Amino acid sequence: MSFSLGFRRAAVLLASAAIMVGACGGGASPSASTGGGGGSPGASPAGSGGQVGGSVTVIGTWGGSEQDSFLAMVKPFEDSTGIKVQYTGTRDLNAVLTTGVQSGILPDLAGLPGPGQMSEWAKAGALKPLDDVLDVATYKSETAPALVDLGTVDGIFIKAAVKGLIWFDPKVYTAGPATTWDDLESKGAAAATAAGGNTKPWCLALESGAASGWPGTDWIEDLVLRQAGPDVYDKWVAGTQTWTSPEIKTAFETFGKVVSESYGGPKAINSTNFGDGGNQLFKTPPGCIFHHQASFITDFFKKQGGAKDGDFDFFPFPDINSQYAGAVEGAGDLFGMFNDTPQARALIKYLVTADAQKIWVGRGGALSANKNANNYPDDVSKRSAAILTSAKIFRFDASDLMPTAMNDAFWKAIVSYVQDSSKLDSILTNLDTVQKSAYGG
Amino acid sequence: MTAMAAPRAAATVGTARRRSRPGRRFVLNAVVIFIMFLWLIPTFGMLFNSFRSPADVASTGWWTSIVPPWRFNLDNYVHVLNTNGMGTAFVNSLFITIPSTIIPIAVAAFAAYAFSWMQFPGRDVLFVVVVALLVIPLQTTFVPLLKLLGPQGIHLIGPGVGSFVAVWLAHTGYGLPFAIYLLRNYMGGLPREVFESAAIDGAGQATSFFRLAIPMSVPALAALAIFQFLFVWNDLLVALIYIGAANAPNLPLTVTVANLSNSLGGEWQYLMAAAFLTMLLPVVVFFSLQRYFVRGITGGAVKG
Repeated sequence: MSFSLGFRRAAVLLASAAIMVGACGGGASPSASTGGGGGSPGASPAGSGGQVGGSVTVIGTWGGSEQDSFLAMVKPFEDSTGIKVQYTGTRDLNAVLTTGVQSGILPDLAGLPGPGQMSEWAKAGALKPLDDVLDVATYKSETAPALVDLGTVDGIFIKAAVKGLIWFDPKVYTAGPATTWDDLESKGAAAATAAGGNTKPWCLALESGAASGWPGTDWIEDLVLRQAGPDVYDKWVAGTQTWTSPEIKTAFETFGKVVSESYGGPKAINSTNFGDGGNQLFKTPPGCIFHHQASFITDFFKKQGGAKDGDFDFFPFPDINSQYAGAVEGAGDLFGMFNDTPQARALIKYLVTADAQKIWVGRGGALSANKNANNYPDDVSKRSAAILTSAKIFRFDASDLMPTAMNDAFWKAIVSYVQDSSKLDSILTNLDTVQKSAYGG
Repeated sequence: MTAMAAPRAAATVGTARRRSRPGRRFVLNAVVIFIMFLWLIPTFGMLFNSFRSPADVASTGWWTSIVPPWRFNLDNYVHVLNTNGMGTAFVNSLFITIPSTIIPIAVAAFAAYAFSWMQFPGRDVLFVVVVALLVIPLQTTFVPLLKLLGPQGIHLIGPGVGSFVAVWLAHTGYGLPFAIYLLRNYMGGLPREVFESAAIDGAGQATSFFRLAIPMSVPALAALAIFQFLFVWNDLLVALIYIGAANAPNLPLTVTVANLSNSLGGEWQYLMAAAFLTMLLPVVVFFSLQRYFVRGITGGAVKG
């Protein structure tokens, strides 16, 4: 009796479990009809205005207002083609794509924060070439030449940033743009003395979670590019210029001077988040005169520093060696294609157009890679964009181009160097050791 | 939950010895409350900061906001609740978490009973193998599992399928070693006499399992349910890897919440408000399962 009762209960349990699984299997199928539309073989590449339907999956690192801007950018595309854009934003992009490349479960398109990792996936054959998707001649003519040089086959640039801008508060610093490194140093020192109190020439903030130290790598890169020139810079990126060589060591030493003239001292520099780094510019009395950071920092000034438009301004990083005048360092987000579907092709074609990029540019917070998208909402971003398009010598962020192991070691080296500048030689020797193994594969 | 169970235990001890040591209960309670307060300080900080503007948070510590003039506002909460897709993500989270809690516990209960009360060759070796699985980091399983569950294998993941079943299976696998270990230890500690007398009365293994082992193990099952529920509810990586690339509309709350901040780490002010909102359901689950601990302790099943 009791056995049959227990058995009956077990049967009920199992049956309900089966129903649940069945129901959920059913629940999953509606998305099959939307997601599976991607494969319709007859669909031709979307011409403008043609209703293609189906969907395209996109993954990227953009979140928050960036995600809103991206979705606003693709909205007209969805309306005109009937293609649904399914966007996943995550800062764990590398984990998703690395496992995806191994297992074959990949989004159709991916927005990648730098060309370093992208070239590895292109070599592995996971990324589909774009030269037959795009009109390469048009892309080349419309895109900032500096970005075109980085390649058009594996990925295309959508968003760009100019690195190495010197930010200041125009109410505090009135001496105008510095034209040489010495000029910059003397103007900064003079303004700091004039402001009185504990004001220092520089603000520096390196904390950024696991990537702590990266703002310092931008410093070193800017210095190498302007002190030693683009050839040394390229060799350095390629792993053939040793870290202990005088060119790189000089850049570290110049950076060390900046560290010693920075607000708060080594501990504060290493523990302040890079987003809060410029806040001292706007204090009374100011903690510092200058802050070296990329064009995107204005967003942090406004949201965390309590600054308003007009409270901040910039001038470009001054030339150091006149031989390499007009050198600029930048970065950008690329788009690559993993699955060659008509919907993915249509979206790529749409994203490179000036009309698409104008939408994001107009919403602020981004520089466009497309020269024709120039409807910048404020003067500061308009001038940053001009620097990008008119650069005589342009180089992409070196650490982003280096292999991941090298990049990680570079970040850590900056943090240890700021902590104790007397250990420079052992830090650089260690970087040389990493360089030998990181480029080996 | 230990923190919640502790005062009760302390109270019982205190009652028994009140006459001999009158100050003991007070001291014990004071220490427990003090430790709980220390433990909760970061949570308080997060709570206060979730009501402050980012500029305030960046310029002064959260403790300065407690005294007037108060500058609290609801902007962060309004933004989080108005973010597109929050509702869908919440439903997705439930749809992932509930089966991913029930399935592993059901399987683990059967396994734990077998490991404790059934005789079969290789039982101890098998148990050691299961426990050894605890030390395998789940990150190392991603690629082989994705190959198995993806289009190259049985195709539970990928465009065109919802990927939910794959996530349930994955969480079941990741949760089982710990679940079996915990339940076996609890079931193995149940009094042998109860099972022997049931067997004498003619009960088979199924009856012993459903009518003795399960009812007597309710406290352990409730504890396990909370562990597993929290693990799955808070999980970002598994959901992201198994669902993320191909099925964006099915992603759970954790992914949507993490993406409230931008790629440079800005707009973090919303995360604190979002953390409090996502905390609500686990707290409800905890308090609704709480009473089973007490019943388990006072149930008197051991007396038989």
